[in-house]
Amino acid sequence: MKTHVKQTTLRRLISLVMLAILVALFGVLGGGSFLTPGNFSEILRDASVVGIIGVGVTYVIITAGIDLSTGSMMALVGMTMANVYAYTALPIWLMIVIGMVVGLVAGLINGLIVARLNVPEFIGTLATMGVFRAVTYLIAIKDAHGVIQSQPLTVPEYTVLGTSVGPLFVVTIVMALFIAAGQVVLKYTRFGTRLYAVGANRKAATLSGIDVARTRVIAYVIVGLCVSVGAIFTTARLQSTTALLGSGFEFDPIAAAVVGGVSLAGGSGDIVGTLIGAVFMATLENGVLKLHMNTAYQYIIKGVVIVLVVMLDALYKSRLERASRERGAQGGAEA
Amino acid sequence: MRNLNLSRLSKPIILVAFVVTLAILRPSSFLTISNFANVLWSVSVIGIMVCGTIFVFLLGGIDLSIGTLAGLSAVTVVEVIKNMGATNESVIIGVLAALGVGAAAGVVHGLIITKFDIPAFLVTFASQMVFLGLSMVITNNQIVSAREPVLFTAIGSMKVLGFPLPIYLMLLIAVGSWFVLSKTTFGRGIYAIGGNPVASEISGIQVKRSTVLCYVFSGVTAAIGGIVLAAMTQQGMASTGTGYETQVITAGVIGGVSLLGGVGTVSGCIYGAVLMGLINNALNLLSVPSTQSGLVQGLVIIVAVAFDALQHQDQSRRKARRILGRLGGDKANESPAA
Repeated sequence: MKTHVKQTTLRRLISLVMLAILVALFGVLGGGSFLTPGNFSEILRDASVVGIIGVGVTYVIITAGIDLSTGSMMALVGMTMANVYAYTALPIWLMIVIGMVVGLVAGLINGLIVARLNVPEFIGTLATMGVFRAVTYLIAIKDAHGVIQSQPLTVPEYTVLGTSVGPLFVVTIVMALFIAAGQVVLKYTRFGTRLYAVGANRKAATLSGIDVARTRVIAYVIVGLCVSVGAIFTTARLQSTTALLGSGFEFDPIAAAVVGGVSLAGGSGDIVGTLIGAVFMATLENGVLKLHMNTAYQYIIKGVVIVLVVMLDALYKSRLERASRERGAQGGAEA
Repeated sequence: MRNLNLSRLSKPIILVAFVVTLAILRPSSFLTISNFANVLWSVSVIGIMVCGTIFVFLLGGIDLSIGTLAGLSAVTVVEVIKNMGATNESVIIGVLAALGVGAAAGVVHGLIITKFDIPAFLVTFASQMVFLGLSMVITNNQIVSAREPVLFTAIGSMKVLGFPLPIYLMLLIAVGSWFVLSKTTFGRGIYAIGGNPVASEISGIQVKRSTVLCYVFSGVTAAIGGIVLAAMTQQGMASTGTGYETQVITAGVIGGVSLLGGVGTVSGCIYGAVLMGLINNALNLLSVPSTQSGLVQGLVIIVAVAFDALQHQDQSRRKARRILGRLGGDKANESPAA
């Protein structure tokens, strides 16, 4: 047990060091425009939506699952709200509630496909990624010629969500709440323990009386909730929504979790780690922009960084395993 | 056994029903030579790619990068041709370079997946972005056209005996892939690995080396798909090939490939590609916007894979019951370790 604590602390340190190196790198290369308080608050803002959605995605990854559909789900939530806004006279709060319900339902659908129909996670959510996007196009707001329009959402009660309070943006404050709640639920509730148990060993979890399928479904429903909140803040910031909202976004929360030390094999990692990862990803994006690099480099760097981090984690894990085997610990008896 | 015959017959029945329905719904546009050519082109690109990716499917792996890898190869070939002045040699060098890109991508995927034991979907999901980024950097986000020389455009548009060249290419690759899978020890080993990697390792199959080779096949056929796409459209850009990964997965799944590994045939995949091409064509002819293709593909994938998973579960449950029955146990709720 003692060594376990050490490992997680070490992994946390590694993510923090990675973040520090990245900040230092862009600080040196980007000079004045990067190292400003305004830019840091900007980075935190960019990290916020990834952080919020990262809470749900981390839960799913802890159960040894994955969700590739978050980007499309965001578009679906945004477009549903745009429809409510454009075609009904419902109050804004109700529009938001409807958006969140859509997110929850979308998450539930993912959960049922994956946990009840036993479709492998990355395939099931790859399929719903296409389905959600297609439905978004289906309900997209079109002009008289059938051409899809970007729908403005400019009512002040809504766009206030995209503004800032002092140096912090509203979305950053909400993210802090999500991260705190997410971490507490994960570490101090029975549900959190179940998530870890399901991810570490499904069979053992079943045998110890955990309803594995139900736990997995709930994790996906939480992703849906987080995505809907992320979609609300994104559209409030953009003051509009399009059918293309969130294209390629699904990568970011997964990347954030991985950088933050959440193991794709399930059973380990936490929300604070994902927060560090989210800030890491946002810093990367911000730095690339500040250095006036072609945005294509973002894709290349992101992809390479993720694979490198996962490779390092794998190396580290196999070394640990070898060490414990050499120590002749009770490995044989436990297996 | 009766069940088996029925499921065998179901494939041609679905195909014929599909064609007849389309012919009735859109007689004037479906039953034309130009539409026929359209279907075949669409089929050939999916078919070429699925013939390589099936190796990865059989392992129980996945390659999500084939779409953007096809894009990167398309961009590579058109850039080489453009920069070498559209000579015939440039076509050969460009094609070789694109194939090299595909093979290299496969080697990298395979090595990362096997050396570090990382889930294939993550590696190929990440590399998907890397390939897209590289294509964007190479083309500077522009469309690069390649209308010359004829040697290149012929790859996409030449007709032999009334059929477009890519169809022959697809058949050639299909035969090659069928041969490797069913007539060589390597190929039979792939099925074994997908069925049970641990047992395969113990029985002397070189699992790691075979795995790398499978990803190389997937990468190379993705590259060929990209070259064909570029030749057909006489241009290359970063978004060439986007979305083909889902089409190829759908084609495989329609053709009876189990994404859980170990099950699937090349002929099934070609059938899947043909049906996929027809589905694309149907959506087109029925004026369903292309943005809706994800809906169809997604639903097909979910239904097919859920059905496959159900059968899989049934099988292992039956096996468990048999084993437990032999042992004289009375509880058979749980399947044994797969």
